[in-house]
Amino acid sequence: MKQAKNTQTVSVDDVQQTLYAKRQKIHPRKVSGLFAKLKVTSVLVLLGIFYIFPWLQWDGKQAVLFDLPARQFHIFGLTFWPQDFIYLAFLLIIAGLSLFFFTALAGRLWCGFACPQTVWTEVFLWMERMVEGDRPQRIKLDQSPLNARKFRLKATKHTLWIVFSLFTGFTFIGYFTPIHDLLDRLYPFSLGGWEAFWLFFYGFATYGNAGWMREQVCTYMCPYARFQSAMFDKDTMIIAYDEARGEPRGSRKRGVDYKEKGLGACIDCTMCVQVCPTGIDIRNGLQYQCISCSACIDICNDVMDKMGYAKGLIRYTTEHSLEGKEVHILRPRIFVYGGFLLFLLGLLIYAIGIRNPIQLDVIRDRASLYRETSQGLIENVYVIKAINKDSVPHTFELTASGIEGLKVVLDREIAVDAGSVLDVPISLVVNPNYLTDRATTISFKLTAKDNPELSNEEEARFLGPNYR
Amino acid sequence: MSKPELKPVPQIQKIIAVLWPSFIIAGMATVGFFTFFDPVQLLHLEVSNEAAYSTGFFIFWLLTLSSSLLTLYFQLPTHYIPPPPIIDQSPDDL
Ligand code: SF4
Ligand code: SF4
Repeated sequence: MKQAKNTQTVSVDDVQQTLYAKRQKIHPRKVSGLFAKLKVTSVLVLLGIFYIFPWLQWDGKQAVLFDLPARQFHIFGLTFWPQDFIYLAFLLIIAGLSLFFFTALAGRLWCGFACPQTVWTEVFLWMERMVEGDRPQRIKLDQSPLNARKFRLKATKHTLWIVFSLFTGFTFIGYFTPIHDLLDRLYPFSLGGWEAFWLFFYGFATYGNAGWMREQVCTYMCPYARFQSAMFDKDTMIIAYDEARGEPRGSRKRGVDYKEKGLGACIDCTMCVQVCPTGIDIRNGLQYQCISCSACIDICNDVMDKMGYAKGLIRYTTEHSLEGKEVHILRPRIFVYGGFLLFLLGLLIYAIGIRNPIQLDVIRDRASLYRETSQGLIENVYVIKAINKDSVPHTFELTASGIEGLKVVLDREIAVDAGSVLDVPISLVVNPNYLTDRATTISFKLTAKDNPELSNEEEARFLGPNYR
Repeated sequence: MSKPELKPVPQIQKIIAVLWPSFIIAGMATVGFFTFFDPVQLLHLEVSNEAAYSTGFFIFWLLTLSSSLLTLYFQLPTHYIPPPPIIDQSPDDL
């Protein structure tokens, strides 16, 4: 019995402990250097694209607009319809495969320089640094009790963050609703309920992810971080600490011959840990938390410079090259990923090449099955959706086949503007003598009058009385 | 070099494990569903498309979220009292 009781306490304790494992807040130190410059460039370019694109105009319309109410996506003069979903799916698969390919080749470049999480976190860190100072000041501030100064600094920081987040949310919904119109409706505030909701939702997500969650997003939320190891091998470019050169680590004075003291090149200054946005020590080897941001490379190079040592104690390299083995860039994995990628790209280009800009949907009138006209003909009623995805307007001719003498009755021209849909109610009539079945499959054909090569067909059913 | 060890699962990881995958899947389901069905045609209701898409998304999220929650719930450790060592014998041997 005693033993049983023990077991219980232990398991409850275990649960408690796992429930409340605490996160250490990370205060990354500021870095400058080659990679820091690259990162600033990347952040400016990517954020520039995000914040500026919705304001661009194209042919008098917003250049990039995902018009949900009209169910059309406009991207620089191209219009995509729900029927084009397949291209989007293709594009996503290709994007995913590219990620495989580049990861196998160059490691987590994406994470360090292009991932929205990194990019926005970087901006939030800039604001934080501007207000609260660099790492030592921030740590001190966080440890100090709440006073007027701390309150003022924290309030300033959060105000900056929130304003920026709301602007981000505004830009985000600007991709779905014309942004000039949105701007006009901001003051006096008259956004629609859902518009306002998504503005705040996206703003809140930005504030939470870039301000609070930070590296936890990479560690816990990112599926890519979890399975990237499957794409890695010993020839993948990684950021690594050169153990052979660095160890044994230890502090020393500048100018001392460390080799004589039996030391390696690492002076154990822990700078690489202080700059790390995910709070790990790169000297422990490749870890899945490392987002390849290269901050530790920049800072360690600085340290090496100051000590008068050669740079590159931490550097971009591969496991094979660290072990002094041959590096293979062209290896089966690269050919497999690359081959698939090329194949899919080819397929996509082919599919877009044969994409038919004319589309036709036929909807049967649900109210009646068929009708007999005064001349004794059998009539069926349909609504034709003529979709013109071409960049010029077309006038169409509609024909139907499948039963002898089938005639289209139409009271107007089918003239469809570029990138629009027209609903045309029509009816088909046929002499009942030619009807052999209760239901016959027929086929509609829509042909552009100015270019007979532009056409599309769609099947439908023609119903009649039972003759058997 | 220190050896990597498994760290206990923090609270935040559990919250994320429920909210986040369900969010992604709900998003994908919404896109997939509304690509094939136009809510205006589907419902014959006087709602705007924004409202239909948004509501659709939250309904999907509710479903996926409940599934994620159940997964988390069934993952909780169970109590276990180990039985005493057993000597193999039948009542007849006593
Ligand atoms: S920054 Fe360089 S020298 Fe300093 S602890 Fe890290 S690896 Fe060693
Ligand atoms: S270990 Fe270096 S490269 Fe990796 S996340 Fe930390 S600072 Fe960035």
